[in-house]
Amino acid sequence: MRYNVIGYLLSEGFHNVMKNKKSTGASLMIMCATMLIFGLFFLIGENVNHMMKELEENQGMQVFMTKKVSDEQIQELEEKIKDLPDVAKVEFISKEQGMNTFKERYGENARILDAYTGDDNPITDSFVVTLTKLEKSEEVKAQIEGFENVKNIELRDKTIEALIKVTNGVRIVSAVILVLLIVISVFIIANTIKLTVHARRKEISIMKYVGATNGFIRWPFIVEGIIIGVVAALISVLLLGIAYNSLMGQITSSDVFSNMGLSLLTFSEIFGLIITVYLILGTGIGALGSIISMRKYLEV
Amino acid sequence: MIEFKNVSKTYDTGTEAVHNANFKIEKGEFTFLVGSSGSGKSTLIKMILKEEDPSSGNIIINGKDTTYLKPKRVPYLRRSMGVVFQDFRLLPDKTVYENVAFAMYIVKATPRHIRRQVPMVLALVGLSGKAKMYPNELSGGEQQRVALARALVNNPSMLIADEPTGNLDPETAWDIMTLLNDINMRGTTVVIATHAKDIVDRMKKRVIEISDGNIIRDDKKGGYDSEI
Repeated sequence: MRYNVIGYLLSEGFHNVMKNKKSTGASLMIMCATMLIFGLFFLIGENVNHMMKELEENQGMQVFMTKKVSDEQIQELEEKIKDLPDVAKVEFISKEQGMNTFKERYGENARILDAYTGDDNPITDSFVVTLTKLEKSEEVKAQIEGFENVKNIELRDKTIEALIKVTNGVRIVSAVILVLLIVISVFIIANTIKLTVHARRKEISIMKYVGATNGFIRWPFIVEGIIIGVVAALISVLLLGIAYNSLMGQITSSDVFSNMGLSLLTFSEIFGLIITVYLILGTGIGALGSIISMRKYLEV
Repeated sequence: MIEFKNVSKTYDTGTEAVHNANFKIEKGEFTFLVGSSGSGKSTLIKMILKEEDPSSGNIIINGKDTTYLKPKRVPYLRRSMGVVFQDFRLLPDKTVYENVAFAMYIVKATPRHIRRQVPMVLALVGLSGKAKMYPNELSGGEQQRVALARALVNNPSMLIADEPTGNLDPETAWDIMTLLNDINMRGTTVVIATHAKDIVDRMKKRVIEISDGNIIRDDKKGGYDSEI
């Protein structure tokens, strides 16, 4: 019996979708537009987040120690830094290693640094500290500065702060846009379904006289809204995927990000997340739209 | 079965459609509700169906005061009554069978029950051979029979008919009326709002007459006009 009722509701829902091809098409298009614009911001946000994570893994701060430190003091300092909250990893870099990386950076001109070896090495022993959260870098820096034998600290990347600002900006903008677009979509869907409801008002009034509950009357229309939403979600994810992959191809071939040691997400990495968000969005907007459009007609 | 206690109805527009109506229709009764158009007949019917709420007074149906019935419960109240209208209100894109089965779908009857019940009521209204036809292929009288079948298919304890013969020629109207009488004989309470004078006179059933919102007559075995 349950199966039968569900079958009835589904077939009625599909019937509604097919009956109003024009307005269904219009709302599909609007919903796709909504989802694509949202998807654009979503992808930017996800990529910025992804880059933040990469930065968090690759970069942190370098803590240089004073010139004369004993091995015990080095160990003691390492323990102290490790015990700080928000510190993920502490890596010791001896002054020789430090010099070598410095030399590498100079490449062919490295020979001029040859004189600065042994006790003349101006570079001191240091730690590379990786953080769990980039936002905490200033806090951690201040704490480490308070420890003994610390000469100075260099934040290894200035882009971090800029990136944090960008992420927050992207989040706020996409939230505002999302809300606006959802409101618009809900009303457009509601209008589409209103057409079906209007076309079937006779049927609805008969249903009411025979004793159908509002829920029973409402379901086929909710199904109609959900079908439009789900179809829009599937179309959008397809279009977004094609657009994203072609854009990705151009960006990666231009090396902008890889030079900075950053990479973009591939579409397959975020496919699952995107389609989940789209389906939730689509069903939600569809269902809400139909409930709104039904209100007036159920008061018999 | 249906009891009106001091029921008045004033619409938002200010017109008083029903003034202090008092009557009681017992189980198994056959009652005509007569009066010219605009007399308040339709308002009475609408209040029985809970399509309109009374402004004051109480309406008791099947022993339950429906005056303060929650909107959520209204569908269940309506399942206890079958309704037919002057304009039949059939679904044009569904066959006779589907139109009747539709009423059972709505109350979530099992497919088995539907397959057994629908042919039975179609036989009752004399339309067994026309199950696969569409409403526009039927005569007015046949369409009203479909509407009757739909009203009866869920075995309601009462049948409410609002001008059921209004669109039919006298002969067909009489056929429908005798069918309603048959249905009444099987135990269903029947309430018919009409202004078909000849039929009311011929049937010799209870008549409640309403004029300008007032119930002016309630004859147990009356004709359309009171005998002076």
